[in-house]
Amino acid sequence: MKYQRVVFLFIFLFIMQPAMAANDSLIPGDVQNYIGYGAIVFTLLLFLVVMLVLLRTFKVLTRIILKSEGYTEEQIVTEMKPVKKEKKPKNDVWIKLLSLKPLSEEKEILIAHEYDGIQELNNPTPAWFMVLFYGTIAFAVGYMLIYHVFGIGQLQDAEYKTEVALAEIAKKAYLSKSANRVDESTVKLVSDPGVLASGSVIFKQTCAACHGDHAQGVVGPNLTDEYWLHGGNIGDVFKTIKYGVLSKGMPTWEKQLTPKQISDVANYIKSLHGTNPANPKEAQGTKETDNAVIPLKKA
Amino acid sequence: MQPEKFYYDNKIVRNFGIATVVWGIIGMTVGLIIAMQLYHPAMNMGNQYTTFGRIRPLHTNAVIFAFVGNAIFMGVYYSLQRLLKARMFSDTLSWIHFWGWQLIIIGAVITLPLGLTTSHEYAELEWPIDIAITIIWLVFGFNMFGTIFKRRERHLYVAIWFYIATFVTVAVLHIVNSVELPVSAWKSYYVFAGVQDALVQWWYGHNAVAFFLTTPYLGMMYYFLPKMANRPIYSYKLSILHFWALIFIYIWAGPHHLLYTPLPGWAQSLGVAFSIMLIAPSWGGMINGLLTLRGAWDKVRDDVVLKFMVVGLTAYGMATFEGPMLALKQINAVAHFTDWIIAHVHVGALGWNGFLTFAILYWLIPRIYKTELFSKKLASFHFWIGTLGILFYVVPMYWSGFTQGLMLKEFTPEGMLKYPNFLETTLRILPMHVMRSIGGGMYLFGVLVMTYNLTRTMLQGKLVANEAAQAMPLEPIDSVAKESSWHRTLERKPIQLMVAALLVILVGTFVELMPTMTISSNVPTIASVKPYTPLELQGRDLYIREGCSNCHSQTIRPFRSETERYGEYSKAGEFVYDHPFLWGSKRTGPDLARIGGKYGNAWHYNHLMDPRLMSPGSIMPNYDWLLTQTLDTTSTIPKINAMRKLGVPYAVGYEKVANRDLDKQAQGIADNLYLDHIKVASNKEIIAIIAYLQRMGTDIKASKTITK
Repeated sequence: MKYQRVVFLFIFLFIMQPAMAANDSLIPGDVQNYIGYGAIVFTLLLFLVVMLVLLRTFKVLTRIILKSEGYTEEQIVTEMKPVKKEKKPKNDVWIKLLSLKPLSEEKEILIAHEYDGIQELNNPTPAWFMVLFYGTIAFAVGYMLIYHVFGIGQLQDAEYKTEVALAEIAKKAYLSKSANRVDESTVKLVSDPGVLASGSVIFKQTCAACHGDHAQGVVGPNLTDEYWLHGGNIGDVFKTIKYGVLSKGMPTWEKQLTPKQISDVANYIKSLHGTNPANPKEAQGTKETDNAVIPLKKA
Repeated sequence: MQPEKFYYDNKIVRNFGIATVVWGIIGMTVGLIIAMQLYHPAMNMGNQYTTFGRIRPLHTNAVIFAFVGNAIFMGVYYSLQRLLKARMFSDTLSWIHFWGWQLIIIGAVITLPLGLTTSHEYAELEWPIDIAITIIWLVFGFNMFGTIFKRRERHLYVAIWFYIATFVTVAVLHIVNSVELPVSAWKSYYVFAGVQDALVQWWYGHNAVAFFLTTPYLGMMYYFLPKMANRPIYSYKLSILHFWALIFIYIWAGPHHLLYTPLPGWAQSLGVAFSIMLIAPSWGGMINGLLTLRGAWDKVRDDVVLKFMVVGLTAYGMATFEGPMLALKQINAVAHFTDWIIAHVHVGALGWNGFLTFAILYWLIPRIYKTELFSKKLASFHFWIGTLGILFYVVPMYWSGFTQGLMLKEFTPEGMLKYPNFLETTLRILPMHVMRSIGGGMYLFGVLVMTYNLTRTMLQGKLVANEAAQAMPLEPIDSVAKESSWHRTLERKPIQLMVAALLVILVGTFVELMPTMTISSNVPTIASVKPYTPLELQGRDLYIREGCSNCHSQTIRPFRSETERYGEYSKAGEFVYDHPFLWGSKRTGPDLARIGGKYGNAWHYNHLMDPRLMSPGSIMPNYDWLLTQTLDTTSTIPKINAMRKLGVPYAVGYEKVANRDLDKQAQGIADNLYLDHIKVASNKEIIAIIAYLQRMGTDIKASKTITK
């Protein structure tokens, strides 16, 4: 019976989970993260405190039990102290590796001088230590030889060239297999909702800071009107996003967005045409009416 | 012969002890504040004087030179007198040393928030304070050697070798890294530029760690640990070997801070090779300490002072193993510029320097006050919360470092950066920063508990300002028996020992610095690189004043992940007019070496006013005062003159027309901003800093690199 209940509960929670997750929380994601991390830290600290309290409890309980069994105060104290283990003589390998002398023979290697009561032993430097020291020296000599005498190792400029060349090969191999190849001459105007949705996300992340939430124009120009500074057809928009117009402050996005992403956001921008957002920036550039999308009649 | 009676000066030890604690609390509190600013920019209190870029140097200077510095003097003044069986040479010099050092720190506390900085890390203080440091340091050396000369102990103990090496090397480092040409009372330019300046700075920076945070502490360890554990030092031979090997090898390792920069390849490789060779000499100190505890480990269980020592030595061992690993190019490629390095230095700072200092304070204060420690329980609590604090600090920082380091290098199969927006990686690590500040808070709380404990200890005892002691005077030199070894002979000759240490550290210094300074092929020039315009020069000095280089690097490393993100990697010839270099050592924000022309002027204006307008979620503080403060153009003429003196080819007489050029360029930027509806007067500071930002990295951006 109990088992069934647990199983049902889990199934119920599993089914409910998407519904709960989808529930838009009033608390933003990063704050939720902080709460989460705070909870973890708090739990860890709580755990620590609980352990300490338990330790204390056990000590007190032991004391009470021992007392009830008729132990005297002195016996209790000795009972509570952990028994010191008899030290086993360490095996020879260990001693040799550390070059340790038994403590009983220490007197023989005590050096006669003392400084403010501090004495020194005449122990040899441990063998492993010398191996480590000579080993690192050999490494260092080898390192210099490999990079600067024999020229086997690549220095940073050569290393960079190799890295880029290998990456180019990998990239070409990947792109030849994928359909993700689009450029300013092959980009097509589409109104597929999936494309526009993806474009909208990219727009909010990368474009809205300068062009405004609704592309009304802030630092950058208004993208919803009929005026374009660098051409208004889909190919031009793609190109402007891809290469940027550095003289006007439009950055290059080629390195940050994939061709597919540029195409999506270009299509999204085209879809905003004529949306007449609030507080539009004044028109800039030349009027273009021969757009593929014909704006709706103004009401 | 009759034993002589004399008195140890405990008062000066006590004074340095109090200063250690007070500055420790201040330095760590500032550290906690800047740690919180990294996830909550408003913690700068809306105020330029408490903004990250200005008070991060205050944190580092306060903990290194004030907390650790005073602790060194406390430990040295206590142990030196006892190891030499003599009172300090001169009470007056001790007094000057103490108050001089405190005044220098107060000078730092005032000037750094005001933005008076040279920008060299851990050497930010401006030239008048640099001179004061030199004088006080020489006072310390004079006082130390005076004491050595009137000693009643023929041979110098290993602790004193470390003190002597510390004294000479820090003097050399500080003087060479402070060669500045003053422009005005509180402004100077470094004589070296670009790559050369970078090499000098990191030769200094690395060896400040070596000879300020390491060698004096090793010396103190050699005195206090055997005293605390009542055990002989494990191996005299190991002391000799690791002392000389450490000081010889350490000085070479500086270039590992500049891997994958335009520093010549041979210098980088030397830095790597010598860093690896440092493992054994560093560990020599650790194992000589830990093996000294052999046969005394049962004491460690009961004695909190020894617990601090053991954790401190272990932290030292970890940090000095990790350091050489970080110097390997493959690891450095990921770790450099990330929080990994912050974790690394704090293992050393909190574990090694902090814990050793606490152990010495707990041991020494009751002794000079002739009493018992007020509460062993509180000390034990301090030990545990301190250890936990270190863990809570470093674990999130390692995690954060790996995360960001790897994210920044990740590519998609399409050959694009997976996280092209730097900010995305920053936001990912903020929770780790929150946890880090909790760890730091715990550590600081432990220090406060210690302060209470030590104060109560002092109140219940009475300072023995002059502690009576007696010792036999030194026998005449001719009656001394022949020494068993050459090193034993050297140990009774302080001047020869100092000269030997000096020669040993100068070898690496000369081999690395000289060719870079003199052989031109090490810094190939680029024809298209021109000096800064007067407005850009003023903007650059504002960049220095605001401490931008604390969070933004200016050197693009030759990695695909960086050239894709920032553009063509940096070349040595691009920095020939950079007095000082501003490469930075940490990327809390993105690299700025080629920020010029990447965004419009309006973007920069809005971004500096409130970074969150242009980059939602950014943790950069607002720099809104740049919008209202007027640029001081009276300094243009001396600045141009100084730069010309340093070899920047401004035409003779250019300083007279420089401000005319400056106004013209400023007006151009103001006009350009006006087009974007931003109305700002052309004489505001923001115009100058925009001019500098827009210039950065553009010299070789358009045209291809021409090397001759």
